[in-house]
Amino acid sequence: MPKDNKGVIRRIHKLLLNKDVSCQELTKRYLEKINESNLNAYINTCEEVALESAAKVDKKISSGDEISLLEGIPMTLKDNISTSGIETTCGSKILKNYKPIYNATVWNDLKKVNSILLGKTNMDEFAMGSSCETSFIGGAKNPHDLGYVAGGSSGGVASAVAGNIAAYGLGSDTGGSVRQPSSFCGVVGLKPTYGAVSRYGLIAYASSLDQIGSIGKTVEDVSIVFDFISHYDDKDSTSHPGIKFDTQGNLKKDLKDLKIGVPNQYYEGIDKDVKENIISALKVYESMGAKIEYFDLPEIKYALPVYYILACAEASSNLARFDGVRYGYKASHYKNINEMICKTRSEGFGKEVKRRILLGNYVLSSGYYDAYYKKAQNLRGLIIKAFDEAFSRFDVLLTPTSPVTAFPENKSYNSPEEIYLADICTVPVNIAGVPAISVPCGFDSNKLPIGMQIIGKKFHESKILNAAHQFEVFTNYSYNKDLDMGVNL
Amino acid sequence: MKYELVVGLETHVELLTKTKIFCSCINGFGAEPNTHCCPICIGHPGTLPKLNKEVINLAVKAGLATNCHINLKSNMDRKNYVYPDLSKAYQISQYNIPICENGYIELSSGKRIRINRIHMEEDAGKLVHKGGDVYIDYNRGGVPLIEIVTEPDISSSGEAREYVEKLQSILRYVEVSDCKMQEGSMRCDINVSVKPVGSCKLGVRTEIKNMNSVTFMTKAIDYEFERQSDILENKGEVVQQTLRYCENSNSTESMREKEDAQDYRYFKDPDLVDIVLSEEDVNKLKKSLPELPDVRIKRYAEDFGVSKSDAELIVKYKNAADFFEKASKGLQSPKTVSNFIIGQIFRVIETESEREKFNILITPNQLNELVKLIEGNKINMNLAKKTFSRMLETGKSAADFISESDMQEISQSELEEICKEAIKSNSKAVNDYLGGKEKALKAILGNVMRQTKGRGNAQMIEEKLVNLLKNS
Amino acid sequence: MVTKEEVLNIAKLSKLYLTSEELEDAFNEMKGIVKFVNQVNEMQNPDEEINHANELFNAFREDEIVPSFPREKILENVEGGKEGFFYLEKSQ
Repeated sequence: MPKDNKGVIRRIHKLLLNKDVSCQELTKRYLEKINESNLNAYINTCEEVALESAAKVDKKISSGDEISLLEGIPMTLKDNISTSGIETTCGSKILKNYKPIYNATVWNDLKKVNSILLGKTNMDEFAMGSSCETSFIGGAKNPHDLGYVAGGSSGGVASAVAGNIAAYGLGSDTGGSVRQPSSFCGVVGLKPTYGAVSRYGLIAYASSLDQIGSIGKTVEDVSIVFDFISHYDDKDSTSHPGIKFDTQGNLKKDLKDLKIGVPNQYYEGIDKDVKENIISALKVYESMGAKIEYFDLPEIKYALPVYYILACAEASSNLARFDGVRYGYKASHYKNINEMICKTRSEGFGKEVKRRILLGNYVLSSGYYDAYYKKAQNLRGLIIKAFDEAFSRFDVLLTPTSPVTAFPENKSYNSPEEIYLADICTVPVNIAGVPAISVPCGFDSNKLPIGMQIIGKKFHESKILNAAHQFEVFTNYSYNKDLDMGVNL
Repeated sequence: MKYELVVGLETHVELLTKTKIFCSCINGFGAEPNTHCCPICIGHPGTLPKLNKEVINLAVKAGLATNCHINLKSNMDRKNYVYPDLSKAYQISQYNIPICENGYIELSSGKRIRINRIHMEEDAGKLVHKGGDVYIDYNRGGVPLIEIVTEPDISSSGEAREYVEKLQSILRYVEVSDCKMQEGSMRCDINVSVKPVGSCKLGVRTEIKNMNSVTFMTKAIDYEFERQSDILENKGEVVQQTLRYCENSNSTESMREKEDAQDYRYFKDPDLVDIVLSEEDVNKLKKSLPELPDVRIKRYAEDFGVSKSDAELIVKYKNAADFFEKASKGLQSPKTVSNFIIGQIFRVIETESEREKFNILITPNQLNELVKLIEGNKINMNLAKKTFSRMLETGKSAADFISESDMQEISQSELEEICKEAIKSNSKAVNDYLGGKEKALKAILGNVMRQTKGRGNAQMIEEKLVNLLKNS
Repeated sequence: MVTKEEVLNIAKLSKLYLTSEELEDAFNEMKGIVKFVNQVNEMQNPDEEINHANELFNAFREDEIVPSFPREKILENVEGGKEGFFYLEKSQ
């Protein structure tokens, strides 16, 4: 790969404009590559839709019409983003064969500029998991080592982007689901500010935490896509009015006097390789003129239990509608309608989803609401305040994305809490509603990628993207040559 | 022992918005099944609700019209329960903070029925059962509702009836709802308990769900009062349960075999944001309210000399009251107009819904003209009534039925001639009258009236006849 | 502390059937998870209650009709339904 810091999107755009390759040829190559791939990154592909859009783009190019940057770029969507007429399963048996009758706002936008949707990517069932392995078709694999997981829940997108079977993709991030798999697969993933990107059409896991984010090979790719999908949407009451971003235009600023806060609490109990790489990343920033300061953020120790209470409570309600009545899987033998509903859900949902539904209903049930749900809401306020305070002192915060690198497939755990601990670095960001990006910063002793997380103030995506971009250009971790197993560009 | 009745009502009312509460589908009754639906109101995954502003306006109006305090900050909550008519498996409602609180409705006795709260929520779809199979229509799913909850202040089925009818009247005046119980746009749940007279402690209550007629509601209350009193009288215990009223047998029966304690797991809906009103918003809505029924009743009694009970009868139906006001313009005695409305028009349009619609053939102006003839002594009341009933049938004006000659005042001499003629040709009645049967005079009077074609004043004729007979 | 009865009741609210084995697993897991989330109770109660990480309010829609979806679309995911309705046989 050339070191001209051009992202994948710009390079493909240039190839199309120069007629080095037609959009249809390119799309076919991607589709072939997907078919040959053993990453298990896709749940479904959509050849017809993709080639149809590609034909439109070719027609435009041949007739000399201008095409926009995202036009004709082969991409993917996590399978919880609704696509009209195209199966959207959420990685669950309960939505097998479900075809939405409307488009998510993000897909509506991308469709308008003739984006090439190659297919829908694999994910943990209903975005609940950190390995992608709770998917009903099994987990996506890590392109760096097929014996390792891609991470989760947006494991399919990260695996596809890292494996060059999609130029970029959109995932969703409720507690780290964009950033953690990006970190595991050595790609860049952005979780935007809550309210920056419309959630309309994103099948909800936890409404107050969910946010759609972009995953790409480079910070520039992620930035281009973010600028395009972030805007006010009147269909989403939590969408922020009056926002418009030009993060791309800000990718050139130097980092002189950038104040980087390093919260001590994020560095406790993390993997040795991870810690070493983050510390050398901090040195890189210092060499670029940034000011580093360690500080305490003790409130984050409550982030995990708060997250599991709030996310599961919301999920238990959001997932109650899957009852076999209006769409999706329906049990076939039953004595009465209540039994039909219970059997549909018991047969349709996987173990982790059931576990979280049970916990959610438990914390909301009468007698426990105050002790858990209300308490967690209060603590959420406390965590938000702590981040506000931190950002009164620092421009950005820098932490690991995950305490560990990708773990082997089918790793067994003693308890669910042990798995939940893996989300410790990413979860506080969703609770506070602030933006954060994961960007590659090295490799561990097994040559598996390590990601670092840069957290910003609400709506300060420009700052974190630029900080990530400068690091990327300086270090070049995002351009691993060994990884070029995809389309020959 | 003597027992007294304690009733509280929860009334659901569908709002008169153009669209549903959280999506832009039509809010309308009677369409083909599942034709007023979109992914939002059938709960497709990924869809999000967006609150209809008009729902808030109407809820606040309802609160202001029932003397409620308006909460400037409120929010929507999720009420979680799984049932096939509820497409999201939760109903978006208001739990901790309703939009309106602490109001009242005053009955004609002066007693106030306190309103605990009014909150906004969405309606569920409709299940149709055929041979045990279930057919679901989501047209009604997402139709905006307000629920009006009273304190247990109602102590007779009559008060319950008056409260509901008054509520209907108020909500129709402020154009919040059409309150059609037969179409389901107004439904009542009744909480009934009994206690020994004078006791402060409330008894165990039962809830009768989904009453869709005022008559059945009063019957259900009366039945439940008897049933619970009997149980207590026999030293039994009333079981707290949800009941259904059976119209055919006029009795109540349990809706569920075993009462599962419901646990709705309420929490604030994270898909929606807080509702914040300013004092100014509320004042604007207050100013937009029309004159309310109670004020009208008072005005009709004080300014128009209509009795309070007649005023109540007319004001109850906004269209009737509006008709009354127009027809009374410039008249000395608006009371004559109210008599025509109650005595004649209400005899033709008998049902509540007909009176509410007040679809009649004549205009207020036509009645006004007729009453002017009476006030000018051009015609007597008898003729006016007859004429009016023909006007009601045909939609024609008084002038179409009464000729010029009818309207000329009859001369004293002509009247005396007719009276004398009547005495001559009614010898039997005359003899009866002279023999002491005072009633017999009516027959002669009737004869004279026919001859004068209604031009004479009945009282004048009667005096003339008595004089003539005295001197005969 | 969670009891087995509570787990059963929660399963009922969740409309999930648990086999006796699943119940045992769920019970044991719930004990652990509940202990884990119990950490929130170490903290003194701050006063505020926050639902969203952004402080938006009054997101309203005008009361204007947009045509509904064709019924075929609405019933597309239930093989067309029956007589225009969503349809459930009483048993199967």
